[in-house]
Amino acid sequence: MALTDQGLTDAAKALELGLATGLGAIGPGVGVGFIFGKTIEAVGRQPELRGQLQGLMWLGFALTEAIVFYALGMAFVAFSIA
Amino acid sequence: MISILAASSSFDPVAEFTDFISNPYVDLPLGLDINKAVIYIWMAGLLATLLPLYVIRRGLKPRPDGAQTTAEAVYDMTENQIARAGLPEEGMRLWFPYVASLFFFIWMMNLIGFIPLPFGDHKVDLFGLDVPQFQIYAATANLSVTLALTLCTFFIQHIEGVRHNGVIGYLKSWMPSGLPAFGIKTAPLLILIAFIEVISQFVRIVSLSFRLFFNLLAGHLVIAVFLAIAVLLGGGQLVFWPVHLLVGLPMGVAIFALEFTLIAGLQAFIFASLSAIYIGGAIHPDH
Repeated sequence: MALTDQGLTDAAKALELGLATGLGAIGPGVGVGFIFGKTIEAVGRQPELRGQLQGLMWLGFALTEAIVFYALGMAFVAFSIA
Repeated sequence: MISILAASSSFDPVAEFTDFISNPYVDLPLGLDINKAVIYIWMAGLLATLLPLYVIRRGLKPRPDGAQTTAEAVYDMTENQIARAGLPEEGMRLWFPYVASLFFFIWMMNLIGFIPLPFGDHKVDLFGLDVPQFQIYAATANLSVTLALTLCTFFIQHIEGVRHNGVIGYLKSWMPSGLPAFGIKTAPLLILIAFIEVISQFVRIVSLSFRLFFNLLAGHLVIAVFLAIAVLLGGGQLVFWPVHLLVGLPMGVAIFALEFTLIAGLQAFIFASLSAIYIGGAIHPDH
């Protein structure tokens, strides 16, 4: 099978999409784990603050989780213009 | 834009979300076309208006039934968890309705986005009738929709900040507290901080709109990829049907359930909460 320019571009694009999204998901993954773990810890110490802590937890979760979408967005942009 | 019955090997994820713009239902000048996203926004707006109106107009009872209990719980959440968490007391009367409407509107747009409706671009021949494919498509999986909502919050925030603190006072309030006085030695540091604070105000537009947009876009894409995984692997043929039955279908349904129950409401909650926090922070900078 001959290696054409088009085939090389397609392969690079596929690699780019996967690598950018996957690498971009590492940091937010760690961050989301921290947020849930720390909230569980805090509720374990002071169960009476559960309601307030949960509100903060969801806010922090969404803020952290959004970071993976920056990577995904940039990956799509590079995917469609390459 | 994702067709449930997608059966194509050339699956371009970006084109799936841009195709409908070039073939609107009604073509109007100035880009005011009525396309699929507009129809979805109208449906969500109607639902968000009529559903609470229906619950209230049929009479509130001292012993509430299921619908009334749900409506009261959601209203209570918008007031105490979203508005009071961000807005100061003098901003509540004016901006609590705005934040609550944001929450309801975005929530309805997200929920409608996960119900398969016959708005597909491809027609299916069903007993001799040309029926559009059922598909899931969210208006919020569209950058223009989320950007418009974000710009509303952005302008409200700055107008309210200037109205309550004056131009100079409001711009000063962007700087963090506890900085040294302006002098020869501290000037470079202060200018750098001011520069970063100004940029961060504009980054808010990007982060607020992209969060909602990509959450819904990625959610729909992942559902579509899992439901079509056997077709994608088989190059357009359903040769890998055990993969579809064992992996694609259960994972697709699981992610659909997660998105429908958690993400749709959570993203609306986050958008409304952050709007309240931004507006509240502009009204009362040290709040």
